[in-house]
Amino acid sequence: MNGAPEHDAMLDLVAVAALGSLPADELRIVTLHLATCAECRAEYDLLRPATDAIGLIAEEPIDTLRSARMKKRVLAAIAPAAGARRGSSAAGLVWSASLVAAAAVVFALVSTVQDIRLRSDLANAQRTSAQLQTRVAETQQTNENERDMLADLFAGNAKRYAVPNGEVIARGSHVYFALRTLPTLPKGKVYQAWTLAKGAKAVAPSVTFTPNGSGSAVVELPANATSLAAVALSVEPEGGSKAPTSKPTFIQPLS
Amino acid sequence: MRREARGVMEDGARLMERVRARDGAAFERLYDSYHRLVFGVALRMLGDATMAEDLTQSVFLKVWSSPDAFRDGNFGAWIARVARNRALDVLRSRSLRDESEIPTDLAEPSVLDDTVFTRINSEHVRRALSALPDEQRSPIEMGFFGGITHEEIAKRTGIPLGTIKTRIRTGLRKLRVELDGAVSR
Repeated sequence: MNGAPEHDAMLDLVAVAALGSLPADELRIVTLHLATCAECRAEYDLLRPATDAIGLIAEEPIDTLRSARMKKRVLAAIAPAAGARRGSSAAGLVWSASLVAAAAVVFALVSTVQDIRLRSDLANAQRTSAQLQTRVAETQQTNENERDMLADLFAGNAKRYAVPNGEVIARGSHVYFALRTLPTLPKGKVYQAWTLAKGAKAVAPSVTFTPNGSGSAVVELPANATSLAAVALSVEPEGGSKAPTSKPTFIQPLS
Repeated sequence: MRREARGVMEDGARLMERVRARDGAAFERLYDSYHRLVFGVALRMLGDATMAEDLTQSVFLKVWSSPDAFRDGNFGAWIARVARNRALDVLRSRSLRDESEIPTDLAEPSVLDDTVFTRINSEHVRRALSALPDEQRSPIEMGFFGGITHEEIAKRTGIPLGTIKTRIRTGLRKLRVELDGAVSR
């Protein structure tokens, strides 16, 4: 621990991160810090279970009609897969109810949507609804990818290798560089990762990246970690090189 | 309007073992035990019962389609966090609020191996939260259920940002101590 006021401020931010109330840009800063600061990681590990528990107080009574409708929808959605184990009568009831509901909706639509303007409005609403659903799905996918990465970085079973300026972190098939205080490079230069496959004699080029203003970067290497013998980092011309052109910043075997 | 009483929560971790084996009856019991919790998180965060209903459905379908996302620990705490993260996604994607007000959360761990987690229940948490001074409890609850950032909490309460951050940290540390005490009694 360095005891500096800046570090106390970072511990406060770690607490807010544990609560899940940091904006994305500050969360990235905390994430980079957590990847290399054992004290802050311990603080996060202490507080996160307490914040996860808070959700337990949210249980709400639901009116019975809504509750029945919700359950019907959910069970109908899983019915094809669950039917064999649930027993045909229960699943059949759910499907029958759904079919009746669906038929009612179709009948209502056909009988009431009679003029072209209404049809056009309906089509527009459906398009808008579809666009919104697509946006929700895209946002969820992006966030899930980011959460997967963060889960790997903080997993207790991740392998951590100390390297100059940070760590190489491997978990399952994923491998990351979590680096801090990297020197600022001259214009036209970037950092480039390299991978050495098991049994290979030469390294293969991987991603290039530029750290943020404080010299930090968390980068996932697009390679299957289980097939790698080592990873390395070097400084290369912008756009990257096919083979290293400078002395590596580090070479890290993956055990 | 008739309302369902609060339910008794069955052991979600045990039911999930059967859900992984595609046991629809176990899934139904899981749903019966935890849908009020998921709905409650969604309703607090989205403020709209219809959206909360949709979110509840999507969370349980996710549980059914990806049962390995949860492996062990306190299922209620886990699914509440999943619901919170989905609600944040909805707030963000539907532009229901200014993007800068909406926080981003870290990972939903698949294994919650902390001993506090496996034995804690809602009454423990309510008592632990009520033991905190209001100046600490309030920003914590606003942060968790309000779906807003610490900066937005500071703005809405008129309290300096640094003070809010410190109160959150102090409050969470006390909450942790209270929860540790509750489960060891």
